[in-house]
Amino acid sequence: MKRAKVIALTAGFVFIMAAIGVQALIPYFTRDTHTTKVSTWVRTDLGLLQEVDGEARPYQGKVKRGREIFIREGCWYCHSMYVRPVAGEDRRWGPVSQAGEYAYDIPHTMSTRRIGPDIIREGGKYGDDWHRAHFFNPRLVVPDSIMPGFPWFYKKYEKPAEEEQEEAGRKLTEGERQRVLPVESEFVPNEDGEAVIAFVQFLGMNRGKWRNAYISRLAGEGSNAIADNASLARGKKSFNRRCAGCHGKDGKGDGPAARFFRKVKPRNFTRGVFKFRSTPTGSLPLDTDLYRTITIGVRGTAMPPWNMLPESERWDIIQYIKTFSPAFKKEKPGKPVYVPEAPEPTPAMLARGKNLYEKFQCWQCHAKDGEGDGPAAVGMTDDLGNPILPANFTNGQWKVGPRPGDIFRTLMTGLNGTPMPSYRSFLQSESDTWALSYYVLSFAAE
Amino acid sequence: MDGEGTLVNKPLVRGWLLWGLGWSFFAPVVGILVSLKFNYPNFLNTEYTVFGRLRPVHINGVIFALYSTLFIGLAYYMVPQITGVRMKWERVGRPLMWLWNLGLAAGFVTLALGYNDGVEVAEFPWPVALVLWLAVAVLMVQILATLAVRKEEKLYVSAWYIIAALVWTTVSLFVGNFILPYHVAGINNVSLHGLYIHYTVGLWITPTGLAVVYFFLPAASRNPLYSHRLGLLGFWSLALFYPFVGIHHYIFSPVLDWTETVAIAASLMLIIPVAAVLVNFYGTLKGRWHTFIDNFTVKLLVVGTFFYFFGSVMGSFEALRSIQTPTHFTDFVIAHSHLTVFGGYVVFALAACYHVWPRVSDKPFSATMARWSTWLIIVGITAMGFGLIVQGLAQGTMLKQGVFFVHSLDSMKPYWLMRTLAGVTMDTGIALVAINLLRGKK
Repeated sequence: MKRAKVIALTAGFVFIMAAIGVQALIPYFTRDTHTTKVSTWVRTDLGLLQEVDGEARPYQGKVKRGREIFIREGCWYCHSMYVRPVAGEDRRWGPVSQAGEYAYDIPHTMSTRRIGPDIIREGGKYGDDWHRAHFFNPRLVVPDSIMPGFPWFYKKYEKPAEEEQEEAGRKLTEGERQRVLPVESEFVPNEDGEAVIAFVQFLGMNRGKWRNAYISRLAGEGSNAIADNASLARGKKSFNRRCAGCHGKDGKGDGPAARFFRKVKPRNFTRGVFKFRSTPTGSLPLDTDLYRTITIGVRGTAMPPWNMLPESERWDIIQYIKTFSPAFKKEKPGKPVYVPEAPEPTPAMLARGKNLYEKFQCWQCHAKDGEGDGPAAVGMTDDLGNPILPANFTNGQWKVGPRPGDIFRTLMTGLNGTPMPSYRSFLQSESDTWALSYYVLSFAAE
Repeated sequence: MDGEGTLVNKPLVRGWLLWGLGWSFFAPVVGILVSLKFNYPNFLNTEYTVFGRLRPVHINGVIFALYSTLFIGLAYYMVPQITGVRMKWERVGRPLMWLWNLGLAAGFVTLALGYNDGVEVAEFPWPVALVLWLAVAVLMVQILATLAVRKEEKLYVSAWYIIAALVWTTVSLFVGNFILPYHVAGINNVSLHGLYIHYTVGLWITPTGLAVVYFFLPAASRNPLYSHRLGLLGFWSLALFYPFVGIHHYIFSPVLDWTETVAIAASLMLIIPVAAVLVNFYGTLKGRWHTFIDNFTVKLLVVGTFFYFFGSVMGSFEALRSIQTPTHFTDFVIAHSHLTVFGGYVVFALAACYHVWPRVSDKPFSATMARWSTWLIIVGITAMGFGLIVQGLAQGTMLKQGVFFVHSLDSMKPYWLMRTLAGVTMDTGIALVAINLLRGKK
């Protein structure tokens, strides 16, 4: 009998307890493992990006509910949730994970497998619209995806009672902020669906505006490609695999996923009108402009950053996109705006920016507090007649790009096809343009 | 050790093995369904059978239903013979069997309904987990009580493993099911979970599986154990190192680096128990290798030791940071789990069934069918194991070179189809074992 007791106590009990003690209890009593500190990127009052010490936030409300559904559906079996400091993962997904980001995880969902992509940096990568289409059927937007669809996250769409029609000077209603396009799909996410989307959008947000810093590094411009038959054929193939779900096989912006979108419609390439350019108002964009948009995506919309797609594939797609509109055959893009090296911002510069914001009545659309719901915002449409909202500067999502130069460029060129004009003839000097750019960025200050 | 005539409660063993053989149809078939979803994502995609709800049914099905049920049945066969006395409180065995198996069945239903605790390998909701935990605890008490009144003075190797495994698992199931889902936040939850995952495979499946081989290899080949000392070395090195390895599941994560390093070192040390055990097994067959030809228990045990060796050594090296860099998160890891759990331990349990079932049911089995099933199992697990290794290395190196994620996924699709075919092959093999035993020789 003696020996059985020895085995049960020594091998059975003492050894396992020793391991739990060393590997779990000692770490548990190490203060570092309970940290809620994370490094986070913020926009300063001067409109600059800075990495500072921050605090992780707990899961609350809709996000918490979304996390419960995420666990219930076993999403975590396929989606790992940490970025390792090896194998180029910080270039692929974003900044390497920190302990504090997991401070409120019980149980943790780091996972042991990556059948789908890692999603700890997913928040803000795709707009809500993209997720609304993707959860319904992932192959609408990613034809090669093997993720299951979750139709039980959806309900039949019922038209809301007609909202009051516009009076001059009225503020946007909450409904208008959430949904500016008429809902075309028969199904819209139910509470579970919206909660999961909220959870996914929360992922990585403890690191603040890291994506702005990350995109700023990505947006460098590579070589230009020539549109020969081979590159057009490759471009077509890639376009049909990666882009057609939203933009449609004919580039009309009417792909099957687009009917789920409530904020911004996919670009219709046949019209040859592009918002984000370095060329003058009304002109076609340069290839490098399209490359920048594809690479960094359009924040807040369904257009994700495609920085991991091989460069050559991006250039091929650009050549193919240009075949949708006859404009590219007939015209040449105008002379691009020169965006000089950004100066260091100063409080005086910001004050000057504020004056210009008043002077040019930017607040008519973008509002005094930069939230994009100024008096003129109600009932605004783009040149297709679709409802459109002025940009909200406070959420830190910059469709044009997050760098001061991106704002500078937009002020000089305007956004074709939208009510946003070019201020080139009003802005007297480079320093004025920088002042206004930094002032606009500073709306996103914490 | 041919005391089954008077010592073993045959109907009890039969009952447990019957349930275990039943689960051996169920869990692998769920695996096939899950694997088909990789190539046909719309296949069987309902709220209750979506990938994320079916996958835990497969994994818990293999670990707790298929393997564990067979093992408990075998334990009721082995312990009386090791001790020379009938099982203490024998009558507990049957209610325990119903509790365990109906608990598992309820667990699979609740998983499909979406009650998932979110802890990998401890997904069952707490009432089900409580049932399983109590069953293991009762079994531990029962076996310890039997050992206390034993007639054989010397304690045989298998008994060491069984005792230790039951104590370990009583502790680890508690940690996994009652601490991890509710307490300990953040990276401490991650560390503890790493330990827990590996306790399930390393401190339950491994020691119980080795107990089975230590018992049935000498019994079936009719040769005494090669070396008691090697047995000691194998057992104590396992007991010492295995509890420390679990954190190798989260290397390069934000958990404390030194705990990862300890886990990696311990993982490499596991080569010692693996080598000790294998030398002991092959030594036992010295002069009796001809039994490998016509005795299906010996044949399958030896086949199993090959996959056990390969899978275990692979696991040790897999823990190295340099190997993890490309392979972690890929199918390389899945290759390791299938090679060890299926190729090793499930095969050990099936081998033992070839020995036990005819003795407790008086039904001989068909040698032709046994030959077919053996080949199907060998071909199936080999194809799956090596296919997944190549696949994992391929995707891992692709991603390391910066390939677009969807491109890498796309190039995995042919491999996944082959994996399904390999799965069908090995599952047909197991099904034939069960059918052969239950039907008897016609």
